[in-house]
Amino acid sequence: MTPESNKLLEKISQFFSNIRIGEIMTSPAIVVTPETSIKQVKNIMKIKKISGLPVVKRGLKLTGIISIEDIIKVLENGKLEDSVERWMTKDVKILYEENTLSDFMSISQKYKFGRYPVINNENKVIGIITKYDVISWLFEKLGTMYIHDDRRKKILEREEYTSRLTGELLDNKKISFDFDIDYTEIQRIGTGATKLKSFLKKKGIDEKLIRKVSISTYEAEANVVIHSESYGKIFCWDFEDSIRLLIKDYGKGIENVEMAMQEGFSTASEEVRSQGFGAGMGLPNMKRFSDKMTIISEVGKGVIIEMLFYK
Amino acid sequence: MKLSNLVKELNARILHKAKSLENIEIEYAGASDLMSDFLAFSKPNMLLITGLATPQTLTTASVIEASAILFVRGKTIPKNFLEIIEECEIPILTTDFSMYYTCAKLYQYGIKDAMETDKENRYDT
Repeated sequence: MTPESNKLLEKISQFFSNIRIGEIMTSPAIVVTPETSIKQVKNIMKIKKISGLPVVKRGLKLTGIISIEDIIKVLENGKLEDSVERWMTKDVKILYEENTLSDFMSISQKYKFGRYPVINNENKVIGIITKYDVISWLFEKLGTMYIHDDRRKKILEREEYTSRLTGELLDNKKISFDFDIDYTEIQRIGTGATKLKSFLKKKGIDEKLIRKVSISTYEAEANVVIHSESYGKIFCWDFEDSIRLLIKDYGKGIENVEMAMQEGFSTASEEVRSQGFGAGMGLPNMKRFSDKMTIISEVGKGVIIEMLFYK
Repeated sequence: MKLSNLVKELNARILHKAKSLENIEIEYAGASDLMSDFLAFSKPNMLLITGLATPQTLTTASVIEASAILFVRGKTIPKNFLEIIEECEIPILTTDFSMYYTCAKLYQYGIKDAMETDKENRYDT
């Protein structure tokens, strides 16, 4: 963080200096035990996109903290098989649940650490607080949406989308189902598809059709999480004669749609592959299960996939 | 084949017992560690056999409407799974057998291939 933004943060924080840390922290914190290997910690950091974890013993008692800086030390001088205990920082600066935002500001000025575990009165680790938590919390309090939402607003305000498949208008107000895709967690892939599935079930739609729709949604959802590096949206219209699906993201786009449509072609990372994805079947599967499909993609602007399923 | 029989024959342990375990009849099965394979070549009510124990296995099984999940090579459920599992309506089993042996055994019991590649036998005779 730059000195300017630090100053700004301090200034804004003054207004909220009496707010309890418990309200701002991320809770529960992702923690590890001292026996965990550095390799595992590295993977957790990568998957969860975090830069440090409290190390706890039984009963969530804090014994140290392991951060990306420690991992770098291991890479220089140690082995990835080493245990966390060997490399963790033992002298941990903590905050209590009852501490206030001003306590956070003073401790972080004094020590300059990236993150501080939060402890309750039973001495258990109940959360973690970073400057990012404070900023997110402040943004929310100030009524300013996250930076993403600038884009989201535009989409929400646009009230219709002209179908590339049929030329008809798909009206935002007539959407039967919509879902926000959270791209930050690989493990959430499929949440939207399963929600859509139970929604369609309740509507009494033909089981076979539901299967086709939910499998295609699942694939599209996986693509957004794995490839787009942006949040996404699932829209579904339940028309008299058809189900219409629109899956959008605002990310990096598909560089070569023709290649991506080929079975077995994938640009997915090892991490993603280890989760059972990235077989290069996503787009081909969507094409297989839908009656009509189109992809609109522009590099750097995102992907829109439209699918039509006849009833 | 009754799922309860299958549990016995494979020395399987039940990791998650959904209500309907007793009544489940398995006719088709498929085995893969790639979730996309199941999405591409699945049959409703199939048995999903996999060595991939991640939350995606559950969402995939749910989306393709599998009857049950069978982990091979003694895989169990990682901790971060647990909250998802409570809502899961699909039974989850684990066997120590390898994927190859598990499949060979199940094929002997007459469980058919969800991808239907076993149909080639029909034309042989």
